Amino acid sequence: MSEAKAKRKRLVYVPEDLLADVTEAARKNSESLSMFVEETLKQALNVNHLGYSREQATETLQVMHAHRILGGAFVPLDVLNYLTTKAYETEKEKLLDVWYESGKWHGKYIKEKFEDPVQALKSFLQATRWDLSEVEVRQDESTVKLRCVSTVLTTEATELLSKFVEGAMHSIDYKTEKSDTLKGMIVFEFKR
Amino acid sequence: MSEKRKTFVARQDLTKRISEMAKRRGYSLYDMVNEVFELTVKAEDSGVNLRNAVEELGVLKTAKEAGFILCMESLWYDMTELAYKKAKSKTLKSWFNAGVWLAKRYVTSENADPFEAFKKDLEAFTWNTPEFNIEKTEKQVSVRIISSRFPESYTLLYEAFLKGVLETFGYKTVDKEVERGGIRLKARKEAEADERG
Repeated sequence: MSEAKAKRKRLVYVPEDLLADVTEAARKNSESLSMFVEETLKQALNVNHLGYSREQATETLQVMHAHRILGGAFVPLDVLNYLTTKAYETEKEKLLDVWYESGKWHGKYIKEKFEDPVQALKSFLQATRWDLSEVEVRQDESTVKLRCVSTVLTTEATELLSKFVEGAMHSIDYKTEKSDTLKGMIVFEFKR
Repeated sequence: MSEKRKTFVARQDLTKRISEMAKRRGYSLYDMVNEVFELTVKAEDSGVNLRNAVEELGVLKTAKEAGFILCMESLWYDMTELAYKKAKSKTLKSWFNAGVWLAKRYVTSENADPFEAFKKDLEAFTWNTPEFNIEKTEKQVSVRIISSRFPESYTLLYEAFLKGVLETFGYKTVDKEVERGGIRLKARKEAEADERG
């Protein structure tokens, strides 16, 4: 893009009060309105380039924020799978217990912070566990049916994730009605 | 929101791209700009800076592509401890290999400065580490990582991971100080390290 081309300007319409809000936001950031608007438009294009819709971006940012508060860490998936397999050989019960407690801790936070904790848990799983190819939640007044599917999860990792989900749902005030866990698939039915 | 309209001036190249984005979503430019502005104002009101937020989304995408996953830090340490106790040398090897794999991803990329790209990404991934510093000069790399939360097993495994990374980038560790919660490494380009050694 040549500099002259990039500098060509265009008039754009917006509602008057929205422009007033944007002007105020620019002032708070100590930026001129034109600089602030330029940056805003650039970032909107960046979000689009990353492949997020507006809803996905908002949801993902909320989840990331929660993860920072709860003590989340990025870890290499291969190493996590290796550690899971090794530790599972001798410490299965302890590990299941640790993951269940971690799920309960997550659930408590989600319950306090999100209006719809079940949907928030779904967003949590979708945004952070990209080893899951599918996270499905069907919900009515008293029942939640939850299904996670992955083509790469090991048996051990599936069982641990299942405990995590169960812990989280128990903190959101649901009881396990039915559960089925097999390599790469978790199916739950919870009742209030 | 009132429908009384006002105009603002924006760069034509940006509005053109926003307009294309709007078209793909079945919106008008007016609707798209409204949505972007409303979201920005909402984010600013909640204390979220848009640029930081977008960077955060970028980190998540890069982490995903680099084979990382988000996990609870405490769970991660527990698992590390258990595996390390059970099979020390194999676990060290798996961490070393993870470092080699990750570094290879950058070395074989078309990035102009693969080491800098690796460093930038790792810094972003290690948001849970209070002190994380990797310095590279022409011939030497210095690493300083400190966290009071690291158990001993994790510290040793992290060192193995970094060793895998450095070796893949062609560096050999010439000096190190590793103790629970702290890793300090100095590494030189392999040929040079061998000459001195």
